[in-house]
Amino acid sequence: QGTIHPFRKTHKSVFGKLKQEFRLVTSDRRSWRILLFGALNLLCTGCLLMWCSSTNSMALTAYTYLTIFDLFSLITCLISSWVTMKKPSQLYSFGFDRLEVLAVFASTVLVQLGALFILKERCVCLPLTHTQTHSGRLLVGTFVALFFNLLTLLSVRNKPFTYVSEAASSSWLQEHVADLSRSLCGVIPGLSSVLLPRMNPFVLINMAGALSLCITYMLIEINNYNAVDTASAVAIALMTFGTMYPMSVYSGKVLLQTTPSHVIGQLDKLLREVSTLEGVLEVRNEHFWTVGFGSLAGSAHVRIRRDANEQLVLAHVTNRLLPLVSTLTVQIFKDDWTRPLLSGTLSSSPSPVPPLGPEGYAIPPSSSALPPLLSDPLTSTPSKPSSPPPEFAFDTPGRNVQQVVLPAAGHHAHGPYGGLGLAYGASPYAGMLSQGVARPGMPSSQSYRTAFGAPTLPLRFGTSNPLASQSQYRQYQP
Amino acid sequence: DIQYIVLLVVTKVLKALGIFESYDILKVVHIVQFIFILKLGSAVILLFFQKPFSSGKAISKRQWIKLLKHAVFSCIISLLGFFGLTLCGPLRVSYITVVEVSNMLFCCFVCDSAQTRGAALFIIAVICLLLFDNDDLMAKMAEHPEGHHDSALTHFLYTAIAFLGVADHKGGVVLLVASLCLKVGFHTASRKLSVEIGGAKRLYALDNLVSAVVLLPWVIVLSATTESKVESWSSLILPFGMIILSVMILEFYVEAICNTKMETPRCARYGAVALFLSALLLANFWTHPLTDQLRSMSKPAQQLSTEHVLSGGVIVSAVFFIMASSILSSPSKKGQKGTLVGYSPEGTPLYNFMGDALQHTSQSLPRFIKDSLKQILEEYDSRQIFYFLCLNLAFTFVELFYGVWTNSLGLISDGFHMLFDCSALVLGLFAALMTRWKATRIFSYGYGRVEILSGFINGLFLMVIAFFVFVESVTRVLDPPNINTDMLTPVSVGGLLVNLVGICAFSHAHAHAHGGKGCSSNDHGHSHHGHSHSEHSHGGHGHSHGMNANMRGVFLHVLADTLGSVGVIISTILIRQFGWLIADPLCSLFIATLIFLSVIPLLKDACEVLLLRIPQENEKDLNSALEKIEKIEGVLSYRDPHFWRHSANMIAGTIHLQIMSDVVEQRIIQQVTAILKDAGVNNLSVQVEKEAYFQHMSGLSTGFQEVLAMTQQMESMKYLKDGTCIM
Repeated sequence: QGTIHPFRKTHKSVFGKLKQEFRLVTSDRRSWRILLFGALNLLCTGCLLMWCSSTNSMALTAYTYLTIFDLFSLITCLISSWVTMKKPSQLYSFGFDRLEVLAVFASTVLVQLGALFILKERCVCLPLTHTQTHSGRLLVGTFVALFFNLLTLLSVRNKPFTYVSEAASSSWLQEHVADLSRSLCGVIPGLSSVLLPRMNPFVLINMAGALSLCITYMLIEINNYNAVDTASAVAIALMTFGTMYPMSVYSGKVLLQTTPSHVIGQLDKLLREVSTLEGVLEVRNEHFWTVGFGSLAGSAHVRIRRDANEQLVLAHVTNRLLPLVSTLTVQIFKDDWTRPLLSGTLSSSPSPVPPLGPEGYAIPPSSSALPPLLSDPLTSTPSKPSSPPPEFAFDTPGRNVQQVVLPAAGHHAHGPYGGLGLAYGASPYAGMLSQGVARPGMPSSQSYRTAFGAPTLPLRFGTSNPLASQSQYRQYQP
Repeated sequence: DIQYIVLLVVTKVLKALGIFESYDILKVVHIVQFIFILKLGSAVILLFFQKPFSSGKAISKRQWIKLLKHAVFSCIISLLGFFGLTLCGPLRVSYITVVEVSNMLFCCFVCDSAQTRGAALFIIAVICLLLFDNDDLMAKMAEHPEGHHDSALTHFLYTAIAFLGVADHKGGVVLLVASLCLKVGFHTASRKLSVEIGGAKRLYALDNLVSAVVLLPWVIVLSATTESKVESWSSLILPFGMIILSVMILEFYVEAICNTKMETPRCARYGAVALFLSALLLANFWTHPLTDQLRSMSKPAQQLSTEHVLSGGVIVSAVFFIMASSILSSPSKKGQKGTLVGYSPEGTPLYNFMGDALQHTSQSLPRFIKDSLKQILEEYDSRQIFYFLCLNLAFTFVELFYGVWTNSLGLISDGFHMLFDCSALVLGLFAALMTRWKATRIFSYGYGRVEILSGFINGLFLMVIAFFVFVESVTRVLDPPNINTDMLTPVSVGGLLVNLVGICAFSHAHAHAHGGKGCSSNDHGHSHHGHSHSEHSHGGHGHSHGMNANMRGVFLHVLADTLGSVGVIISTILIRQFGWLIADPLCSLFIATLIFLSVIPLLKDACEVLLLRIPQENEKDLNSALEKIEKIEGVLSYRDPHFWRHSANMIAGTIHLQIMSDVVEQRIIQQVTAILKDAGVNNLSVQVEKEAYFQHMSGLSTGFQEVLAMTQQMESMKYLKDGTCIM
């Protein structure tokens, strides 16, 4: 096991560099503790492996792999503290947050492969030979391993593994324990505060493994049933599988650049809002994924009407998505942009830059052409609180409908939502629009903020809050 | 409903009695005759009670054929069941039959975690019976399994059990469990037929009749060819009648009544407990002189000594059986599966049953297999892997069977190792299949990256193998064991041939695509493999394009196996010729190091891709492309250039550009896209920003702060708007 961990940091092939990075990590006091525990763990693992070969017990070997897993998790912890010190480089433009994920994935997969080896060994040996297990150091080994594992788990704050174990779906071991404890709490209600919260999977598997080893010891001591050793080795291996599998699935999904399923609802709402912005025809090619544990990155293509202001739309789209997606790229595109606009319509994009100043933003270039009621263009609030909330396009309803429905209908089928039954077509947008106008509420940007802090919170933005700022588009439209 | 419970308990006690009785009878009566008499007797009684011909609608010809099939199946099941009874005694039979009823429930609701726990307990209980039940008598019986075979059927069953490698008495348990599983499936299948025929009772009556008819020719042949061990049939009439009444008829009727009058789980629970306790009691007292009056047959003394007795394993497994049946028969809490969605206007909670909806939409398994096979065969990569996997599996099974045949431990364990290695192939195949799946909402870029992850996992796999081989060979260097080299040569030659085929297939496919093939070896326990030429491979690392980590991983495995076989041959020769026992561990030490070294490039590449590094082979192109972008007319600068390889044939990228205000954005986007496309980026998002964008953004963000302030100080809202908005 000692041979594998240097290659986590694969990008450091030169030993000198490795040493330098190591020095960087050890400059932090907190990592000293991790190193101390790592040394203890190595010692403990060595002892356990010796006892394994002396007792010839497969179950103890399977349990020792959990200790080795603890070593991996300590290494992951070191990596995670290294990652926080590193800035994104030119080659690794997203930073090294993913290294944490990769370390978690690699360690869970390695432990599962170890369990697979145990299973294989048992498969080979089960029908053929009955190995004699000596129970001498079995119990001692069990308790030493359990003690060290729990000590490591509880005293080292392991950020990545804590995150994964909380975010990943619960393993079958957890489900069963939850089920059992629920029925137990039916009998003794006082235990509910202890038993009902979700169990830490690592503590759980350590306890379960120790329990099965104790049973093995008892049965071997009392009845000399040597087959129990095999059975409990298989059981520990299966439990290891069950515990590690959800975590490796979770981290593997991050590595596969998938959209995390818990933010999909939130993203959908944001995208829907984006597509109701004035001038936006559709959003497509949207890719959202997590860089490390937690921070989203993403890109999307937004198709807009030919006469819409690209920079304004870009600013609004970015403004909507940025609270949730921290690394965002939005490509604005227009169809037929080479063809000149029809005569009579003003193109706003090539318009000269407005004069800058403290109020530079407040004076758009085209404001002089607009009626005086709307000539006080503020970015996000209606200009006059006493006036009714501004509507979108009610002065030119026919044009608006045509603009929204017709071009979008052509691209509706190409959108990625088509296959999923989420009709992002034109008509829902129209419905959204009218609905939104009818209910002027609080601007939803506030809810974005709260939602950003805790992405798993129930979604709180109103589906149809018209952002007051949407009214501003009118002013730029001739 | 206390009377129903009493009725149920009495029936169960009678049933236990009947099982014990039939065990005694089966010692003298041939099993086929026994079943025939049972079926015939119950058919006569049931015909009398049910009158299936005079009542109800007539049975068509098709239904008769179905009935015939039904009867044949029920005959097979009862044959298996009673044969198990003869093998392992009545006590264990009554244990296993207990779970039958609850098992039927379990088939309906497997999804619940409590139910799976129950099933696991049941399996543990069976394993307990198999492993820890050290019945002395059974061991005695096992000594002469060929002793008293009456017919071809029993002989066949005995040989089948012997082939399974299980001891004779434990074969009985296996048979019982098999018949139990068959029975559960049979019951669900017969439900439709019972509706068609018109009621379960009518079906039962007709079924008994038809199976008696089916068994009739066999019985005639049997009684004509073999002489009976029965002294007088007349003394058997009473016990037969008792068995027919208790096991076949009374139980059936009472179960039917209780199931309608009480809820099924409760009924099953009471029945199970009653059967357990009565079986335990009977097992204790059956050989007791007190029960001699109960027993209608007097046994010779020597047979009394060979009764199946109670043992610790039976008690343990009984506890497990009771727990399993109580868990399985408890009502499943399906409501907990749903997730709370919200509350209805009336205030009642609304649940969302995701699982059910998914189950309904998922396609059937055969169809899925067929589709996947078709997809596998469509593309070159996956086709190669699939064919090679088939070849490998075939070789493995031949090896395993031959190993079992010749009882060679080495062959069997090598076969298992091969099977283990096939898992890497399966992983590769699955990844190659998944790669072509369509992009979904979650996998917005498509599944191409699965291939890289699978390559990474395969790399880790080889690392673990290398580690274990290393540890093993270090211990062997210290203490070289004596190796029997007889079987190794033919096996390794066979493996070499198989793997050479694979090498040919894979290298043809991928020699041009990548030079970064390392090789590794895969050590098989005591048949240590070694190989000579592995250094050549990762010299040309730095593959130009189309890196397919998955295929590389698979190739590594295949190459490893090939060279491993070569290594075995070499080390065998060395040991035979010179007697260098240390050659074997040294060889495997060498192999482990080589595996390790050769996997590193694969792991390194996969890591780089997974960590979203700028693709190494496009690095220069991308840098020059960025320089070119800076020189485009109107472009001021760029920021946040992110380029990464998503999958083998997709390089994705995002970039933000700052341009002058009087330039058309779309033109810039077009130019930049073209430039980066030349550099290999084929999934690009360009964000074009002008000065106006930053003004808008700053304007919007002041709006943000204002809104926050507004919510905090509601009373001064107007003032704030007037005061801060202008800014």
